[in-house]
Amino acid sequence: MTLMAAVDASVKVAGLQDLTIHRSVSSIPFAGRYRLIDFALSNIVNADINSVGIFASPPFASLIDHIGVGKSWDLDRRKEGLFFLPTTHQNGGIATVGSFHDFEEHIQFFEKSRQTHVVVTSSFVVGQLDYKEMLAHHLASGKDITEAVGAGGSLKSYILSRRLMLELIRSHREKRILSVEDLVNLKKAPYSYGVYEYKGYFAIIDSIQQYFKESLGLLDENNRRLLFLPQAPIYTKVKDEPPTRYLDGSNVSNSMMANGSTILGNVKNSIISRAVTIGINANLDSCIIMQKCTIEENCELAYVIADKDVYIEKGVKLIGTADRPFVLRKGERVTKEDFQ
Amino acid sequence: MNEKVVAMLLAGGQGSRLKSLTYDIAKPAIPYGGKYRIIDFPLSNCTNSGISTVGVLTQYQPHALHRYIGLGTPWDLDRHKGGVTMLPPYAEIDGIKWYAGTASAIYQNINFLTSCEPDYVVILSGDHIYKMDYEKLVEYHKEKQADVTVSVLEVPWEEASRFGIVNTDEDMNIVEFDEKPEKPKSNLASMGVYVFDWEKLERYLEEDNSIEESTHDFGKDILPKMLADQQKMVAYPFKGYWKDVGTVDSLWEANMDLLDPSAGLVLHDPAWRIYSSNPQLPPQVITETGRVQGSMVNEGCVISGTVSHSVIFQNVLVEQGAVVEDSVVMSGTKIGRGAHLNRVIVPPDITVPENYRLLDPVEGITLLTQDLIDSWKESGQQ
Repeated sequence: MTLMAAVDASVKVAGLQDLTIHRSVSSIPFAGRYRLIDFALSNIVNADINSVGIFASPPFASLIDHIGVGKSWDLDRRKEGLFFLPTTHQNGGIATVGSFHDFEEHIQFFEKSRQTHVVVTSSFVVGQLDYKEMLAHHLASGKDITEAVGAGGSLKSYILSRRLMLELIRSHREKRILSVEDLVNLKKAPYSYGVYEYKGYFAIIDSIQQYFKESLGLLDENNRRLLFLPQAPIYTKVKDEPPTRYLDGSNVSNSMMANGSTILGNVKNSIISRAVTIGINANLDSCIIMQKCTIEENCELAYVIADKDVYIEKGVKLIGTADRPFVLRKGERVTKEDFQ
Repeated sequence: MNEKVVAMLLAGGQGSRLKSLTYDIAKPAIPYGGKYRIIDFPLSNCTNSGISTVGVLTQYQPHALHRYIGLGTPWDLDRHKGGVTMLPPYAEIDGIKWYAGTASAIYQNINFLTSCEPDYVVILSGDHIYKMDYEKLVEYHKEKQADVTVSVLEVPWEEASRFGIVNTDEDMNIVEFDEKPEKPKSNLASMGVYVFDWEKLERYLEEDNSIEESTHDFGKDILPKMLADQQKMVAYPFKGYWKDVGTVDSLWEANMDLLDPSAGLVLHDPAWRIYSSNPQLPPQVITETGRVQGSMVNEGCVISGTVSHSVIFQNVLVEQGAVVEDSVVMSGTKIGRGAHLNRVIVPPDITVPENYRLLDPVEGITLLTQDLIDSWKESGQQ
């Protein structure tokens, strides 16, 4: 029994709007150097699955740029490998995972495959799902569809046979089901439904609050140990940044730092992405700073999410809260005068 | 560049003065700068200079280098046309020919070069740290209509006698080579970077090969012979950071130079990136107790102790209460609680035991070894 994978990168998540103006949920930066889809893709390749379809809807330029031909995940193969399968519909993407409409557009991906089973997964759940184990569980249970569940909640990953997948794609209209998630939630007859209990670390990123909470949750050593397993690495696009520089007078504690940054100021309880500059006497507490941001000297930031390429001029003071972090959109330039 | 330029990168050096660091890898494979190997510099220079055909000549302990370079993907050298070709010594009908000198290494790969159909051949050394635009060098060579161009660097006069010194006239024509002169007449040192017209190079390599008493070395044989034959030979004045890391001390210094903006080597340079093979590791974490000052730290590290003025490679754990000062800590190392290192190079994958102390070495820099740690343990100092 072998697996192929369908990654739903087109699903719409209403609560993440500020971060998805120029990109899909799947390519939201996470944990300093990753994009959300890296976790699903890494789980997939770590289970030796090498037939992977990414179902995407616009705007997907950022996702294509990130994935490329799949080299970072070793999915640039002669046989099978990575398939980028965008929807041609203007308003592609629905609110549940595994849209049969999207699958139908690329039904050949499923028809042509030689694998027996399909993993359907979202691209906004971070974890270390073991699809080999989940498949074994699915086969032993004899159920038609198995859903991965963590701490009682759905992890939006499903396994079913390829034969059933094709049947569902062809009949979803008359059956009035929108997606795999929809089907599992409705528990429509005549299919049987099973559950695979996942015990490891996971984070569901479906709102800004969750994004903020789960990002900073990685500062907990236990979470990191469960997510970054040496035997199951999380792969991402390689960037060739030099190591991060900590200059004299800087002060960094309890923070996760990606490469290529230059730190002159004070950072605590924060996640700093690649190629960020933090100026002298800037104070950051509980912030998530994405790649290529510049924070000039004497800034005072707490509970701030700064998306990619944000420029904060000197002396700016921005204080959010854990429940309502202050979100700066991609490319924004902020001056002292903006917030007086 | 319309004409075809091929680079030949000499990467067979042993670097025996680097002691245990080069017991099982060649000098160009030595880790440097928190994530690089020395050979990343000339390879990235080639990529950034638009040279996409590169031969890498290996001999001493080549396995790590061959595996590291692979198809050349990190440097964009996995090409249909050209790309990187590894060139170790090989056997022929009349026996195995080891590379006796820099020139013989190139001579024995004359078939490779011929098949590349180059107009110009750039000879590079795999053990120097510098950023250089070879395109400018080749342009200069063409402008000067030279047969060979030697890249030179101004060195402090008091150090000139350690180098191969090049004496020129006012038009930068080379008039004399002075190998490690007692009384240098100039302070222009050869960097071991040459551009040749391919036809001239081929001719002089053939000639040199037939001379039995030749040491088959560019600096000692080929260039003096071309000079004697009145071939046009010019010096190209290179300006910028350049370092030959031949010893433990100079490897340490080259790492410390990265922490000193005035030293002139900037790695945070999107216009001239140094490419490297990137392992997939999570970001580094500075914990609640960690303190990092004036240092560079790579991915995968967890710093809970104090790191000051040091270069820390990937996957290093510095435990709480450990102190690392003025040191270079290579990948996969663990520095145990209460350990204290000062002016040390820690090679890869070493576990420094708790409370181990290596401070203020009497002279120079200490290259930590497992033997040193074992004998410390035996002496019961803990």
